[in-house]
Amino acid sequence: MSKKILVIEDDKLLSDLLGKKLKDIGFEVAFAFTGAEGLASLRANKPDLILLDIVMPEKNGVEVMEEMNKNPETDLTKIPVIIISNSGQPVEIKRVLELGAKDYLIKANFNPQEVVEKVIKQIGD
Amino acid sequence: MEIKNPTPEQNKIAVLLDDLSSLESYARDLFSFLPLPVCLVSSIGIILETNPALEKISGYSTEELIGNPLENFIGKLDANRLIKETLEKGSLSSREIVLTTKDKKKIYVSASTLLRKNDQGETIGCFMGLFDLTAIKENEQDLHKSQSALLNILEDVVEEKGKAEEEKNKTSAVIANLTDGLMVFDSQNNLSLINPPAEKLLRVKKDAVYNKSPDELASLTDSFKPLLTILGKEIKEIFRQEIIIEDFTLEISSVSIGASKNRTGSLIIVHDITREKGIERMKTEFVSIAAHQLRTPLSVIKWALSLLLEGDVGELSAEQKNVIGKSYTSNERMITLINDLLDVARIEEGRYLYKLVTAKLENLAQAALSSCREIAAKRNIKLEYQKPAKALPELMIDAEKITFAIQNLVENAIKYTPPGGQVTVSLKYDTNKVALSVKDTGVGISQEQQNRLFTKFFRANNIMRMETDGTGLGLFIAKNIIEAHGGQIRCQSQENKGSTFSFSLPINN
Repeated sequence: MSKKILVIEDDKLLSDLLGKKLKDIGFEVAFAFTGAEGLASLRANKPDLILLDIVMPEKNGVEVMEEMNKNPETDLTKIPVIIISNSGQPVEIKRVLELGAKDYLIKANFNPQEVVEKVIKQIGD
Repeated sequence: MEIKNPTPEQNKIAVLLDDLSSLESYARDLFSFLPLPVCLVSSIGIILETNPALEKISGYSTEELIGNPLENFIGKLDANRLIKETLEKGSLSSREIVLTTKDKKKIYVSASTLLRKNDQGETIGCFMGLFDLTAIKENEQDLHKSQSALLNILEDVVEEKGKAEEEKNKTSAVIANLTDGLMVFDSQNNLSLINPPAEKLLRVKKDAVYNKSPDELASLTDSFKPLLTILGKEIKEIFRQEIIIEDFTLEISSVSIGASKNRTGSLIIVHDITREKGIERMKTEFVSIAAHQLRTPLSVIKWALSLLLEGDVGELSAEQKNVIGKSYTSNERMITLINDLLDVARIEEGRYLYKLVTAKLENLAQAALSSCREIAAKRNIKLEYQKPAKALPELMIDAEKITFAIQNLVENAIKYTPPGGQVTVSLKYDTNKVALSVKDTGVGISQEQQNRLFTKFFRANNIMRMETDGTGLGLFIAKNIIEAHGGQIRCQSQENKGSTFSFSLPINN
């Protein structure tokens, strides 16, 4: 059974591009375009990995992670999260790593292939 | 006289005469031997007899004294008075007079007198005894000197005390008027001083916390708990540790007073860094947004081009690949440039401050309006400006940023008002603030979305349907700008009727 990746990213085109790349490799991909949507989706679908943007409407990525950490009993904390953001603020990076993010990728500095490699490194293919 | 064959009476007389003469010699010897200066003076002040002690003290010889007036060495005034009073009273004791010696030296003496009468009871003069007061006078002078020295010291002490008091007052004034909070714990770790800013920052009243131990303070008030957690019961030394009390971020430093072995207490400095923290946060948010906004479109280009290059969306011809490759490289250059710019911004972060100038809100509003006239006309929107009823005072503001905020509000109003509508900008001067409002007849914002209006990247549902380009940043930035000036921004709106966005700026900023 292929692994499920949830992409929470408000830029539709970026999501599409990344999604295509992930699907081509064989992952099952779900999309969410706001933090709130993302939370609903990850609660419902329990993905194997989350690619999470930070600057988004209706709950940003940091808030999404805080929500995930709120209830340790619901296994949500066990889902690996890779941050894909373009803001790259040191305080922000520090905060999400504290919250358990596995990696922080600045989108402009990585191409989709490299992002996919990071995903594979976390959960295998 | 030699008497031959004396009678028994005559013999008796001879014996008595002998006795008398020996008594007289006894008296004379005693007179001479006496270490006190003594003399016999007649009723008119002539010295009749003297003794060696008087000769010695006065420097005059016996011949110079006897038969000469007393006033020669005690002065006419004292001589007359002494004799006159003695004749009246019979005796005088310890009258202080000045004796002038033969070589004109002045000697303080104390004179005592006794009336001298002859066998018939007639007054023949008086005895006068003198007592040299030089030593006593010297002592007295010494005493005077010590006394005045003491008085001087006392005066100095009083003066020093005054100075100390003044210094104390100055110090108290300095402590009370510092912007930083200040507290002192004594050697027993009881709170012995707290200044008004510390009372305010720690939410306590001086009287309630004086002379209290750390334990008592912790149980007394919640606001002390975070402070005492970092200070400990023993009030240890700390440097710039941050604590948060309600909405305030405080920076605490603690130093021991006195030498390490002889610690007399601890001084606690409470520095309010809430504002700095706020600016820091704002700056971080700003850079974060800038980074996001600049990088995101470049990311899209990069990702799209890399998918093309990798053949994920179909094979490219060599020529196509070449062109796309060049575009990719160029895009990479742009990304590097922006990364560099962001790094610079981040370095600047700690020093980020608004550029304040004196400006009139009226002028800024007109400038913002004139830049919007063209699009208003294009969209067939009537743009109106209402002058304030009362001329506005000048403000210390960041003119560029305030103009940006006004422009943003006006542009939004124009953008979200259907053609034929109206946008009105008006200014108002209240007692301690000036206010600007932008009223439109536009689409409005639903009640439930109004509270998210000023958050980052927020775009209302109805405008998302309408159009158009927009970052969702304008109002967020405008809010930050207004709040950084100590002002407030708000919105009143009814869906499909219109909105009024207004902000106020305090005058004393």
